[in-house]
Amino acid sequence: MSDEYIEEEEFSGAFEGRVFRRILTLIAPYKMWVVGFLLSVVVVSILDAYFTYLSKQIIDQGIVPGNRSALVSILLQYGGLIVVQCVAVFGFIYLTAVLGERVRYDLRQSMFNHLQALSLNYYSRTPVGWIMARVNSDSDRVSEMVSWGIVDSTWGVMNIGTSLIFMFAINWRLALIVLAIIPILLVVAVFFQRRILREYRQVRKFNSKITGAYNENITGVRVVKALGREPENMREFDGLTGSMYRSAYRAAWLSALFLPSVQMISALALGTVVYVGGLQATVGGMTIGGIQAFVAYVTSMMWPIQDLARVFAELQLSIASAERIFSLLDAVPSVQDQPNSVDPGEIRGDIEFDHVSFGYEDGQSVLKDFSLKVKQGETIALVGPTGGGKSTIVNLVCRFYEPVSGTIRIDGRDYRELSMHAIQSRIGMVLQTPHLFSGSIRENIRYGRLNATDEEVERAAKLVGADTFIRTFSKGYDEEVGEGGSLLSVGQKQLISLARAILSNPQIFIMDEATSSVDTLTESLIQQGMETLMQGRTSFVIAHRLSTIKRADRILVIENGTIAEMGTHAELLRKRGKYYQLYTKQFRSQMEQAFNPFSNPAAQQA
Amino acid sequence: MPTDAQVHPYDLKNINTPSRLKSLWRLLTGFRLSYLGATLSIGLAATAKTGTYLLLRYFIDNFFVETGQSINLVQIALAFVGLALTEGTFTFLSGRLAARTAEGITRRLRNYLFDHIQHLTFAYHSKTQTGELIQRVTSDVDAIRRFFSDQAIGVGRIILLFVINFIAIFNLHPLLAFLSIIVIPLVLVVSMQFFKRITKAYEDYQNQDGVLTTILQENLSGVRVVKAFARQEYEITKFEKENWEKFRRGKKLMSIHSLFWPVSDLLCSAQMLAGYLIGALMAINGEISVGTYLAYAGMLVWIIFPIRNLGRLIVQTSTGLVSLGRLIEIIREDREPLDEGDYQPETINGEIEFVNVGFEYEAEHAVLRDISFKVCPGQVVALLGGTGSGKTSLVNLLPRFFEYQEGDILLDGVSLKRYPRKLLRRHIGIVEQEPFLFSRSIRENITYGVGREVSQEEVEQAARAAAIHDVIMSFPNGYQTIVGEKGVTVSGGQKQRIAIARTLLKNPRILILDDSTSAVDTETEAEIRRALQTLMQNRTTFIIAHRVQSIMNADLILVMDQGRIVQSGKHEDLVQQDGIYRRIYEIQTRIEDELEKEISSV
Repeated sequence: MSDEYIEEEEFSGAFEGRVFRRILTLIAPYKMWVVGFLLSVVVVSILDAYFTYLSKQIIDQGIVPGNRSALVSILLQYGGLIVVQCVAVFGFIYLTAVLGERVRYDLRQSMFNHLQALSLNYYSRTPVGWIMARVNSDSDRVSEMVSWGIVDSTWGVMNIGTSLIFMFAINWRLALIVLAIIPILLVVAVFFQRRILREYRQVRKFNSKITGAYNENITGVRVVKALGREPENMREFDGLTGSMYRSAYRAAWLSALFLPSVQMISALALGTVVYVGGLQATVGGMTIGGIQAFVAYVTSMMWPIQDLARVFAELQLSIASAERIFSLLDAVPSVQDQPNSVDPGEIRGDIEFDHVSFGYEDGQSVLKDFSLKVKQGETIALVGPTGGGKSTIVNLVCRFYEPVSGTIRIDGRDYRELSMHAIQSRIGMVLQTPHLFSGSIRENIRYGRLNATDEEVERAAKLVGADTFIRTFSKGYDEEVGEGGSLLSVGQKQLISLARAILSNPQIFIMDEATSSVDTLTESLIQQGMETLMQGRTSFVIAHRLSTIKRADRILVIENGTIAEMGTHAELLRKRGKYYQLYTKQFRSQMEQAFNPFSNPAAQQA
Repeated sequence: MPTDAQVHPYDLKNINTPSRLKSLWRLLTGFRLSYLGATLSIGLAATAKTGTYLLLRYFIDNFFVETGQSINLVQIALAFVGLALTEGTFTFLSGRLAARTAEGITRRLRNYLFDHIQHLTFAYHSKTQTGELIQRVTSDVDAIRRFFSDQAIGVGRIILLFVINFIAIFNLHPLLAFLSIIVIPLVLVVSMQFFKRITKAYEDYQNQDGVLTTILQENLSGVRVVKAFARQEYEITKFEKENWEKFRRGKKLMSIHSLFWPVSDLLCSAQMLAGYLIGALMAINGEISVGTYLAYAGMLVWIIFPIRNLGRLIVQTSTGLVSLGRLIEIIREDREPLDEGDYQPETINGEIEFVNVGFEYEAEHAVLRDISFKVCPGQVVALLGGTGSGKTSLVNLLPRFFEYQEGDILLDGVSLKRYPRKLLRRHIGIVEQEPFLFSRSIRENITYGVGREVSQEEVEQAARAAAIHDVIMSFPNGYQTIVGEKGVTVSGGQKQRIAIARTLLKNPRILILDDSTSAVDTETEAEIRRALQTLMQNRTTFIIAHRVQSIMNADLILVMDQGRIVQSGKHEDLVQQDGIYRRIYEIQTRIEDELEKEISSV
């Protein structure tokens, strides 16, 4: 739904030469294909018109004079040309469709590739749904235009053109009448197609609203039932289906009205032709076959006109789609490698924040004049309220963002002098809500180091204590994790992402601990895994668990973008300040969970 | 044009019959006349078209061939226009009537399914996947719509065109008529075979599209992981592989398509040329007139070429029938009778008594056993127990979300089974730990289900009492902020307070609270606690709790384990007894001791 708004707001789809030329560059690599299908379509439409002419000849040369041999030769010619046309038909459908698929492929791929380069700030201000719509539906629409759009309009123009030529050849006076009608037909056709298209867009909009309504009512059925909202919801839904009905009905009857209207106009033309033609025939100017040919030309002209109108009506939408695609492709990554950035080959892991300030948006500041020196191998625990700036510190270390002012140094060197790959390939990260990819457990662990052997993958899993639960699956390491890892529990996902991180053998380790409770056994496994990982590595942990916090070399209480308190566990406790409060509260709630006397089936299972 | 889209009332429960054809026929209830009209219009339009060719024949034979005969040219021309007008009018009419039928049926079906689903039992909802249900009510319903708007009417149109033109040709020359349809069965078979393949190839293509979408989706949502491991190249290769596979499948689909048209063209054209030859020879031999030949040549096209589409439509119809079957599976399910029950008191006091209640979700798996206790109006009952102890199942019985099998529950001395569910639910308020919010404005979420007009003042008053007013005011559009839109995220604790505000407005006699520990910080927790205190005043309250502190003041504490009440009583009594409750309570003291030790040890 919100996609629609973005569509409407941002791009007019107005015809602009610049955009249009850029669209054409999409098919530039496939010039020969375009030439091929254009030739085929020209052949098809010329033959179409010629066939009508042959039908006329059957009558005028064969039947009326009673000439059997002429008849047979005309039909042989007809038959031969049909075979030619069939080949051409195959050619243009195949070439056009495959070209369309190819452009789709290219567009999707170039968008995907570019998306990999874009920085995190692009993702934070662009909804995933918006990007998905660009890659899916907009690429469809643009490739339709450069394939079928071109074919249909060429076919339309050619068809009308050749028909007119034949008509002029048969009888120029009558042909002039038809020529006069074509603009009228086109105007009417465009008028209809525009309206129909508009209604169809409405239908699609209501359709997604209806799906949304179903979705909410099913997922929220408990609330609906508890509050007795059924009649009210039904009333609202009826309103939606009512609007949908009106738009769909209108679109359908406009379509139903379109062809007859065009037909009527051509029937008028036809009537005129017959009338005038008839008069001429009396003076010997027009043959029977000629009349019949005119009738056929005029009736069959409706189809190209319909196609032309449709292509024209869709053109605006396609251009708007193209503009949106280009806006994605033109987005510049805000964090980029500097021109002569280097990969030093090795990173020890000394990290320094030197008077760093940062805000996600202009004027807003999340981190203020933040300074911190972390020695290689040190473990830093970040604690404090949500929104205080803990994640921001971590984001900056990963160079997902760069400081607005101040410098971050790795091993004493401004990290902007290093390449992004140099930094990021040496970071191991475990997120609060661990992200896994569809595929097997093995593939997910191997994500940490792509050339790792199966033994190495399993060793990594053993190191973090994930091996045991993985082996309980029937397929072991080859068990599928489901979309986004949905077949595993949060604790299991976290263990796998720990294994993934340890396999990559990072110099810097970053972990955002989960707040949600994990059963005790998994919890202790995660703790052990983290411990293994943090050994000898510079680590930043957004910490929630007491054991993690206590084990850290230094604890930072982050509040309002600054360090409110800093020190070891013992130092801070003695201070009886903010850390003390945080700690005691956390202690109580964690102990309560730990000493829960109830039998807990979930914990037993795991 | 009828602007008001009235839905013809009909209970679609009736379409649940063993015969799919009967189901379709019943779906048509109320639209049968329109549909008949649509079919008749098609017939008339086809007749007019055929009439044009016959008129052409008359015109040619009487005007051209036998020159000198005086016929009125203006009349002929007008007749052509008149026939075209007839054809056009009826084509339009049939389209319009068919659209009305298809869209009307679809609307009624959509409404029915929506209402049906929200009335299905909890048992049904808990065992059904949301995604699959939505898939059915959207794409299967759309398949039904296409069946009525395209397929059924399309098949009718093609058959009528064939029959009418065939009859016309037959009247011109019987032998010619039969010689003209030799390849028709072949065309039909070929096109059906092709479209079966095309349908299959299209499904493959669509499945691959799903694969690609998943990769993209996972890549976008896992962008941090991709970047943190510097796996951009790997992701690109992965995407490229599947993207190429989609291209390959698209190419395959299109190859079948691009073969179908020329092949079927060739077949149809051969038949057409043979027709021309035979017809022309007959004309030369004087068996038929030139006009007859012309009319024949025109009509011939209309009995041959549409058959190609008939094959497509027949293949698609079978998909429509499968969809219908899937929908009937939903419709077959029984609804929860909301109004059933003979006892409908004006007010409810809130006295509740459980008498030896036993309950199971499925046979032989007792979830609750022998539950007995009594609560006076306005009292607070706390349920304490581990996961799976039966606390939630117990409170689920009160609004009759599920039906108990043994014993009885008495509300104000009357069996719960005698109360209509609707009435019960009106008097019971539920606040879950992390309640579901609808993607509407905050205000609408607060007034959701209150069932009466609520002034802004009242809403704000409730929000203040629930300690959520200030939070709401900090959102970009205040009470009009849409939940989940433009990055407005509502935390679990905030959702809970919105639900509290909603429940305050609803003003129920009985209250069910889920008070599990959640990840909220200290201040929020205190605020929620205060809000809950306000809410609990003068209402019979059931609290589902995990911790002792929040329930020490309860009038009755039920300690549950494995579906049974293992201890019950007031806090003061329970701490005297040896049992789980005392152990939990002692843990609290122990924790404080340990904490003391921790702190002093540093």
